[in-house]
Amino acid sequence: MSTGPSDPSPVPLTVDGLSVSYGERLAVDRLSLTVKPGEIYGLLGSNGAGKTSTIKAIVGLLVPASGRLQVFGRDVTTEPLTVKSRIGYVPETSMLYEALTPREFLEFVASVRHMDVTTTTRRVQSYADAFRLGSELEEPIATLSNGTRQKVLIIAAFLHSPPLLVLDEPLNSLDPRSVRIMKDLLLRYVAGTGRGVLFSTHTMEVAQQLCQRVGILDRGVLRGEGTLDSLRERVERGDASLEEVFLRLTEEDAGVRAAVDALGNSDA
Amino acid sequence: MSWREAFRLSDVAFTELSLQAVYAFRQGNMLPSGASKKLVTRSRNRVVQSKLVISVVLGLLALGGAAILREKALNPNLFPAVPTGLFDTAVVTGILSLDVALLWWTGVQVIPTLISAGVLPVLEPLPIDPQTLRRVSGILFFRLFDLPVLSILVVTPLAVGLALGPFAGLAALPGLVVAIVYSLALSLLTGRFFIRRVQGSRGGGGRTVVRWAYLVLWLVPAFAMFAFITTAPAFFTALGGLAAQGPSFDGMLLVGTFPFPFAALPSLASGGAAALVILSPTTEFVLAAAAIAYAALAVWSVVWLAGSVRDLQFLPNRAPAALASVPAVVRPTGAARAVLVKDLRIASRTPGYAFLILLPILDAVAIGLLTYSSPLRSPVATSLALGAVTLAALLATFFGPAFFAIEVIAYSYGRTLPLPNRSILFGKVALIACIYLIAAGLILAFTLLRLFEPWVFGAFVLAELPAVLAAALLEIGLLFRWARRRGLAITNLYAGAWFAVLVSIPGLVTAGLPVVLFSVARAAGSTFGLEVMALVAVAELALATPFALGRGAS
Repeated sequence: MSTGPSDPSPVPLTVDGLSVSYGERLAVDRLSLTVKPGEIYGLLGSNGAGKTSTIKAIVGLLVPASGRLQVFGRDVTTEPLTVKSRIGYVPETSMLYEALTPREFLEFVASVRHMDVTTTTRRVQSYADAFRLGSELEEPIATLSNGTRQKVLIIAAFLHSPPLLVLDEPLNSLDPRSVRIMKDLLLRYVAGTGRGVLFSTHTMEVAQQLCQRVGILDRGVLRGEGTLDSLRERVERGDASLEEVFLRLTEEDAGVRAAVDALGNSDA
Repeated sequence: MSWREAFRLSDVAFTELSLQAVYAFRQGNMLPSGASKKLVTRSRNRVVQSKLVISVVLGLLALGGAAILREKALNPNLFPAVPTGLFDTAVVTGILSLDVALLWWTGVQVIPTLISAGVLPVLEPLPIDPQTLRRVSGILFFRLFDLPVLSILVVTPLAVGLALGPFAGLAALPGLVVAIVYSLALSLLTGRFFIRRVQGSRGGGGRTVVRWAYLVLWLVPAFAMFAFITTAPAFFTALGGLAAQGPSFDGMLLVGTFPFPFAALPSLASGGAAALVILSPTTEFVLAAAAIAYAALAVWSVVWLAGSVRDLQFLPNRAPAALASVPAVVRPTGAARAVLVKDLRIASRTPGYAFLILLPILDAVAIGLLTYSSPLRSPVATSLALGAVTLAALLATFFGPAFFAIEVIAYSYGRTLPLPNRSILFGKVALIACIYLIAAGLILAFTLLRLFEPWVFGAFVLAELPAVLAAALLEIGLLFRWARRRGLAITNLYAGAWFAVLVSIPGLVTAGLPVVLFSVARAAGSTFGLEVMALVAVAELALATPFALGRGAS
C-alpha cells in the first residue's frame, strides 16, 4: 500500500505540540517533529523519556492531552481508521493473540487490512523465509520465543507495505542475523520512496547506522533534533559519536562519570 | 525460611496475580486512565468480589439441598418410592457432586490466568529455598479457591445440620474435605492437560477438530453440574426403582461410588443404615472400604498437589518445531468474518470461551437425545424442545460479555489496526447467532421424528432469533461504551464476574421477553403466540441496533 492519491500531504508524519499525560504526570511536553518522505527518523531517549508514549499517541493508543498528529496530512484523532491503514506498527512489547498461531494472526491482520490471498501469501512466505520461520508459523504464539514473536510483529507491520512504519525498539530480542536483515530492509524500504519510518531506540549505534535524522527526547522534552553532523555542531564536538552527543544534550555526561565513580567507590 | 515468609511472599505474588487477572497488562492491555494509584486495591477487591460470587452460589446450592432434605422430612410423599435415609444420602451426594463440579470448573477458569500471569517465575531466580517456593506456590494456588472452599466447609455442614440435626452436619465434613481435595487435584490435572494439549496445540484443520474434542471432554465437570440439576427428578425415580428391586449389583456399585460413601455419613449419623441396606446386604462393609479407599486417594492427592503446583509454572513446551519451511497459505477474509474466525480459534485453545460455545450445543444434544429416547408424548417432546431452544437463547446472553472479553486480549495491538468497532460487533453477533442456530438445529434434528408440528418449532426458532441478536447487540454495545472507558479486561471469571452479570441482565430480559409473551399467549389459549413473539423480537432488534451502532459504541 502506498499513500492514498487523496492524501492531503506527502509528509509521512507531523507531530505538532504533542503533550501526553498520565493523570498529573506529564510524559511528553509539547513535542514537535516531522518524518520526511524517504527518511528514517530516530527517536532517542533514556528509559521513561516519553518515546513509547509519543508512539502510542501516533498509533491511536493514547489520547493526547494537547497537540496535533498528522499522517500524510490526515489527523490521527479525526480520521483514525484511515491513519491506521497507512501505518505499520511494531510495539515495544510483543502483545499478541497468544492463542493464535503466527499464520492465523497474520491472516487476521491481513483480513482487517483488506488484503488479497495471493499478495498476503507471497509476502508472508517471503518474510517467513527471510526470518527463517519454518513450522513455527503453525505453533501457538504462546509457545514461541520472544525473538520469534518479534519477527511475527515485524512481518505484521510490513505485510501491507505501509507508507509509514512506526517501530518501537523493533530490534529487541532479535538474533544478529535478523537484526542485520531488518536494518538492510529498512534502508531499502525508504530509499527513493515517499515512505517514512519513525524508529524509537536507545541503542545509539543502531540509530547512527540507520537514521538520517534523530530527535533526542529527555523527560518528555525534545532536547535536540537533526542530522548527526548538525548535532555535533551544536555540542561543538566535530568527532563526537551519537552517544556522546546524546549524553551532552541530555546533560547526562557528568552524571554518568559521577555514577561510575560512585559505583567504583562502593566496590572498593 | 518459615511459613510466615512464605505467606508474606505469596501475598505479594497474589497481588500481582490479581492485577494481571483484572487488567491483563502482560497480555498487552493498556493502563487505564485516571486514578492509577488505586489499580492494585481495585484489582484485589474485584478478585475478592468474584470469589464471593462463586462462594454465594456454592452456599445457595447447599441451602437448596437442605431445603429439599427438609421438604422430604415434612412430606414423606415426595418421591415415596425412595426411603428417607436413601433420599437424604442422594441429596447429599448431589451437593457433594455439585461442589466438586463447581470448584473444578472454577479451577478450569482461573488456572490459565495463574500461569499466564507469570508471578512465580519472577520469584524463582531469587535466593529463596525450594521448600519456601513450594509453600508459596501452594498458598497461591489455594488462595484461588479460599473463599469458595470456606463457603463449602461452613455453609454445607450448617445447612445439612439444620435439616438433619447437628451430628449429621458434622458427619458431612469428611465428604466435603475429600470433595475439595479432589476438585483442586482435578483442576491442576486438567490445567496441565490444557497447557500441553490445548494451549500448545499447533494450527491446522485436523488438529482443530482434535482440540475441540479435548475441550468437550474438558467441559465434563461443568456439563455434569448442569446435567445433574436437570436430570435430578429422573435420578430419584431411578433410585426408587433400584430400592424397589432390592439388593443388586447396581445397588452395591452405587454404594461404592464417590461421593456416595461420604454422602451416606449424615444419614447414618441421623438415622442408621437401614435404608441403605436395601441396596446391598453388605452396605456397611462396602461403605467403609470405599470411604477408606477414597480417603487414601485424597491423602495421595494432597501429596501430589504439594509436589506439582510449583511445576505448573514450568511445564516444558513440546520439542522445538523443525525449522523446515512450510507452505504458508494465508487466506484473508472480510473484517467481521475475520473477527468471528479469530474468536473461534482463540476459543479452541481457551476452555473458558470454548465452554460457552459448547454448552448450548451439548445441552441441545442432551435434550434432543432425551426427547428421542424416552417415551414422551409428542406435545411434551415439543414443549421440551421449545424449552431447550429457549435455554439456548438465554445462554446466548452470556456470550456477549465473554466474546467481548476476547477482544481485550492483545487489546492494545488490536486498537492499532484499522478495524472498525462495527466489524467487531457484527463478527461477534454473527458468532452468537450461529451458536444459537446450531443448537436449535441439533434439537430439531434429534426431535424431528417425534414432532408432529415441526413448523411450530421452526417458527419458534426463527421468531426468537431477532431477540437473540438484539440481546447480543445490546450487551456488546453497552460493553463498548462501558468496559473500554474503564479499561477493564474481562479475561476470566475472577476478573469481572459482576461486570459480566450486570451486562447480561438487560440481555437476559431482551432474549426472555418474547418467550414469556409466547408462553402467556399460549396459556391464555391465543393462537397468535408466535406472531406476538416475532413482533416483539423484531421490535427489540430495531431498538437495539441503532443503540449498538450509535456514537460512543461503534
